[in-house]
Amino acid sequence: MNAATSAPARDASTEERLAALESEMKELARRALAHSAELDSLSSVARGLGQQDKLSLIVFSGSLDRLIAAFVLATGAAAMGMQVSMFFTFWATAALRQDAASVKKTLLERMFGWMLPKGAKKLPLSQMNMGGGGPAMIRHIMKKKGVASVEEMIDLAAELGVELNVCTMSMDLLGLKPEELLDYPNRSFCGVAKFLETAAPGKLTLFV
Amino acid sequence: METIDARGKSCPLPIVLIAKAIRNLPAGAAVTVQADDRAFPEDIRAWCRKTNHELLSLDARAGFYEAVVKKI
Repeated sequence: MNAATSAPARDASTEERLAALESEMKELARRALAHSAELDSLSSVARGLGQQDKLSLIVFSGSLDRLIAAFVLATGAAAMGMQVSMFFTFWATAALRQDAASVKKTLLERMFGWMLPKGAKKLPLSQMNMGGGGPAMIRHIMKKKGVASVEEMIDLAAELGVELNVCTMSMDLLGLKPEELLDYPNRSFCGVAKFLETAAPGKLTLFV
Repeated sequence: METIDARGKSCPLPIVLIAKAIRNLPAGAAVTVQADDRAFPEDIRAWCRKTNHELLSLDARAGFYEAVVKKI
């Protein structure tokens, strides 16, 4: 059916209703546009109010298993395009130790140094440590199952731009000096204020 | 087309490897990923949704999955 043959069939009231419907549709379209503009401006407000696509991890534990979990999350989030900051505090700072040239320490600091794990390779497990046999076993199983080691994940994290912040108060308590800690491209030493400023606008903050 | 062989690698390595590979690609280029991690089908879908890249295909091959992802 084309317009020429259908036109005579329409009476005046049909024409009127069509015109009314048309103006109603125009009004609805105008309102939809206004609403979508409003939604756009609201979502940009929400983005400004603490909704950054960011993961902040407080890494407190000095156990191998917890460090694995923290680095799986950190590298995974970085791969997802999220901004990632890790804050190392307390026992976790010892996981960042590396063999360093001798540093000057007090007796108490030296004692802490002897007792704390010397880096990620020496971390115990939080469960089933079995006098140090547990970590060797879990590393063996991880290798067999294709899970990246903590050392490999630290390298990946560096490559993906994960920020690493180390709590200076913990370093002071445990007697750790900056030169004893792992070289890492995106590393800073900081306090609680820096952590809060970084984490507060983010969507996701976890304590490990 | 570049192929990433993430077979034998566990979570999060498959998505970390694809994230690294896609950084060096021009927009519109595609990359193939092979993985046998059991979480891979769900993870690659989630990764594409989150990063706004396009999952062109996801197939089960003999003993592994193969995904083709286009950089947007």
